[in-house]
Amino acid sequence: MADLPPTTSVRRWLVTTNHKDIGILYTITALFFLLFGGVLALLIRLQLWDPANQVMSGLAYNEAVTAHGLIMVFWFLSPFAFGFANYFVPLQIGADDLAFPRLNALSYWMYLFSGVLLGISFFQGGTLDAGWTMYAPLNVPMYTPSIGSTGAVLALFMFVVGVTASTVNFLTSIHHSRAEGMGLMDMPMFTWSILATVWMMLFAFAALLAVGLILASDRVLGSVYFSATEGGSLLWGHLFWFFGHPEVYIVFFPALGVMLELFQTFSGRRLVGRKWVIISICLISVQSFLVWMHHMFLTTINLEIKTLMMATTIGISLPFDLLVFALIYTLIKGRIQFTTPFLFAFGALLLFILGGITGVFLGAIVLDYEFRGTYWVVAHFHYVMFGGATALFGGAYYWFPKMTGKMYDEFLGKVHFVVFFIGFNAVYFSMFLAWETPRRVYEYNPAFQGMHQAGTIGAFLLGASFFIMFYNFAKSYVSGPDAGDNPWDYSRTAEWAISSPPPLENWPNRPSYASGKLEFVKDYVPDGGPAVKADEDGNAVTDGGDSHSEHIRNYPYWDKHPSHASIWPILLSLATGIMLLGLSGFNNSTEFHFGDSVSQFSVEVLNPVYPTLTVLGLLGLIWAGWKWGAEDFYAPPSEFGERWPFEGVEKVKLGMWFFLASDVIVFGAFISAAVFIRWNAGWMSWEPIPASLPGLINTFVLLTSSFTVILALVAAHRQHRTGLLASIGATMLLGFTFLAVKAWEWWEKIYVDGVYLATVPEGYSAIQASVYFVTTGLHAVHVIGGLLIAMFLFVRAYRGAYMEDGRPVEYFGLYWHFVDIVWVFLFPLFYLF
Amino acid sequence: MIDSLILQQGSGWRAQAEVFDEIFFVFLALGTLVGVVVVAYTLWNAYKYRDDGGEPKDDFDAPVVGELPTGQGGPKAKKLFLSFGLSAIVVISLVVYAYGLLLYVEEGPDTDGEGDIEIVVEGYQFGWDYLYPNGHTETNELVVPADARIDLAVTSRDVWHNFGSSELRFKADSIPGETAHTWFSVSSEEVEAQGGEATFLVECFELCGSGHSAMDGQITVLPQDEWEEWYEGTQTDDEDDDNDTDNDDGNGDEGGD
Repeated sequence: MADLPPTTSVRRWLVTTNHKDIGILYTITALFFLLFGGVLALLIRLQLWDPANQVMSGLAYNEAVTAHGLIMVFWFLSPFAFGFANYFVPLQIGADDLAFPRLNALSYWMYLFSGVLLGISFFQGGTLDAGWTMYAPLNVPMYTPSIGSTGAVLALFMFVVGVTASTVNFLTSIHHSRAEGMGLMDMPMFTWSILATVWMMLFAFAALLAVGLILASDRVLGSVYFSATEGGSLLWGHLFWFFGHPEVYIVFFPALGVMLELFQTFSGRRLVGRKWVIISICLISVQSFLVWMHHMFLTTINLEIKTLMMATTIGISLPFDLLVFALIYTLIKGRIQFTTPFLFAFGALLLFILGGITGVFLGAIVLDYEFRGTYWVVAHFHYVMFGGATALFGGAYYWFPKMTGKMYDEFLGKVHFVVFFIGFNAVYFSMFLAWETPRRVYEYNPAFQGMHQAGTIGAFLLGASFFIMFYNFAKSYVSGPDAGDNPWDYSRTAEWAISSPPPLENWPNRPSYASGKLEFVKDYVPDGGPAVKADEDGNAVTDGGDSHSEHIRNYPYWDKHPSHASIWPILLSLATGIMLLGLSGFNNSTEFHFGDSVSQFSVEVLNPVYPTLTVLGLLGLIWAGWKWGAEDFYAPPSEFGERWPFEGVEKVKLGMWFFLASDVIVFGAFISAAVFIRWNAGWMSWEPIPASLPGLINTFVLLTSSFTVILALVAAHRQHRTGLLASIGATMLLGFTFLAVKAWEWWEKIYVDGVYLATVPEGYSAIQASVYFVTTGLHAVHVIGGLLIAMFLFVRAYRGAYMEDGRPVEYFGLYWHFVDIVWVFLFPLFYLF
Repeated sequence: MIDSLILQQGSGWRAQAEVFDEIFFVFLALGTLVGVVVVAYTLWNAYKYRDDGGEPKDDFDAPVVGELPTGQGGPKAKKLFLSFGLSAIVVISLVVYAYGLLLYVEEGPDTDGEGDIEIVVEGYQFGWDYLYPNGHTETNELVVPADARIDLAVTSRDVWHNFGSSELRFKADSIPGETAHTWFSVSSEEVEAQGGEATFLVECFELCGSGHSAMDGQITVLPQDEWEEWYEGTQTDDEDDDNDTDNDDGNGDEGGD
């Protein structure tokens, strides 16, 4: 555990795990990507100035369009919002930090390095040029052969890994670390919107992770999912939009949360119909997973399903109506202060109303048939997603005084808003007027030239407006007046109750809402024991041993000071980035020769750079992961928290459950992909590729290993070191047996039957081979990952760990059981039927 | 331009363009109305309840830092549900209305089958091939008769395209391994109005590669008799086109590499 250097030191920003530091890092990095994506947008607008004008070649234009979409949706919108979420969700719920501070730092560094990978991809023979929707099969190397295309796909994959870690972290924090007396319904609206967002992210990003893995497999290993005519294109459509539609709300909800906060703060009124607003938010989060096929109305989906999707689409627009009206009615009878933050939030509402109304047009299928692939869609989603993000800029002004302690310049802020609002409508409303232009073309009907030129002028105005904001923030940070703790008249939430900026550990004493309002209570800390609640005189209160205090007592390191610094998140992310950079060119720099037997297997390295990077990155990853696990990092759970509905579930266990839930979706997507492809190929036309006997043996091997993991936990509880070592050892042995049987099975397929990923003899189909190898391969990777963790546990147990605290063994057990259960689903699908 | 496309057929058919224009008009009118009312109401309230520096009213209950949120109930909450109910009625009736017309667009006009023609459209990087029932293949220019229902079976031999004409208001995804169906028809009046030969622009509406922007085609509509004459003539120069098609098909099956 390292000490945390002061904020003036560069080292501080590399090792910090504090949620406020990371919030600042997220915000600044996201603004950088706003500039990156913005420059690409301006290039696009320049190309559209004249239908015959060519600033860029067709390929470069497509790259600009693709990268603009990817950067704005993934690397700007969500991370910008999560900068604020990082900073303010723990403050709003009365927590000291997020549940897993190192994991939070890891998420940030994964985000940053994934963005670096995306930047590098421009110089790897050109980045991806298949649009941000990456429709198949344009997304496979046959049609987008550049190394940079693979680089961009892997960058997205890395980004999603970071998002998954962040999702688990926020879910655990909000469900586990709320201050005493703050029930779920009592949470501030910004925190509510983030909670709904991360619940959607847990499932939506898992689907994207799965589809990204399959695409990476197609691009790096050479499987043929998305080029398969047996439904490969539609498979991409379904999986992508199953993620893609919730994603719209994932980027919009944090902005909605900011609007809900700001409308209250700057009108002095409380939210109208608060309960119904929360119910609407929850409804939308669920419904968002039931509408994805409205992005595919023109494909070969049948009328019945289209009708169902139309109904669910209309259904999801209704809670939004309620949200909009709640916002409007909140203002009535208020004392509305037209500060810069409120102007942005108010502007966002107006833009969102327009975006919502034009969205209803798209819900009517006949209209959608015509709008599909046109600027109507482009204009609509910019009004919704970027219109929503307008509120996030309001959030930036709103929280700037809290984050820096300085007040921004109100006049410049208002100028920014006016220029922004005019520019915004010039660029995006002109798109409605020129809606018949097909998306992503630059040789358009000259009749629309006037509109597109107006849009280009608006785009430059919009871009310029941000420099007013940057100047304002920079100037105010250096020489602005002190903001004080609470510069706003009608703020309510807890971040305004502490100094600006808040101290490292946030609170003067333990925050509590037990009395109905925020109070800082002093706990009684007996010598050599955890804190207990104190009464007014400072004496310990015994409340009959509530379950959570038990957890605290079981924590062996309770008397330590919380840690705030670790170097391993950045190193682990760096290693991942290097490995993925290597993988992006791996396929182009190596050739595998299988020969007729294993002894003839050889790898020809055409270019050593990429394979070297891959190996270095992988070794670094394992090393950093090991050091991470061995680091003595103390992040205590909050002691008297509200945690409905997960009372009595320990923090790390809760995180593990959330992680496994997302992994269920990953495997669910892989299994759905296998079923979907097989259905399209004709279900009965496939015979299982492998023999059923080795699969059956492996089923027994894995089930037995689930049993030995339980034995390990029992041994840990009994503090029986030999028993612990023996049962972990047995689990590892069974795991290796499983892999050995698997290896034999693959060897037989490759060398006896000649079946490999995409090369198959007569009687097999290439896509079937791909599905078999990739799906069971993903499971094998999970087994290998589990074995690495088991080895780590074994070595640590040998050195005497886990005798006092057996929880790592228990959590490894959860993971291992999950991997075994997945096999129970894969076995019949690939070995029996 | 849209106004000039009166595609009403003698038998009471309605072209897709006409159906679209009707729905679009209704949505646009109602959408504008709702939008103007809601935005005007919002702006008016924001202005009316601005903080003018005066003393707060008696019933103004300022929130304080650290309070647990309660929210407002009372008359405003009732108004919330009233507005919500109204908006739900507008949205749902709009969609139900549009759905009735969707069924027509999906089915297409009822014809006696005579004169109907089904053409297979195959997209490729970067153009369109049209396969006629008699085996004739055209590239990029689709020649069809007026006053007939033209059924299209749209597919692709490489990547995902989208075959559509903004002027005729029809579109279909062109996906490898899939066949999407749509239809259109152009009246002889329209052909007359364009001087005996009507042409419409076809564009690709799904990003499909470096040549996507220029992936245009054309639909040429001839009067019935002229078209029949042209169609008869296609029988003779069939062989060359067939060879082309075979070669292209060979290229299209590279997905298994």
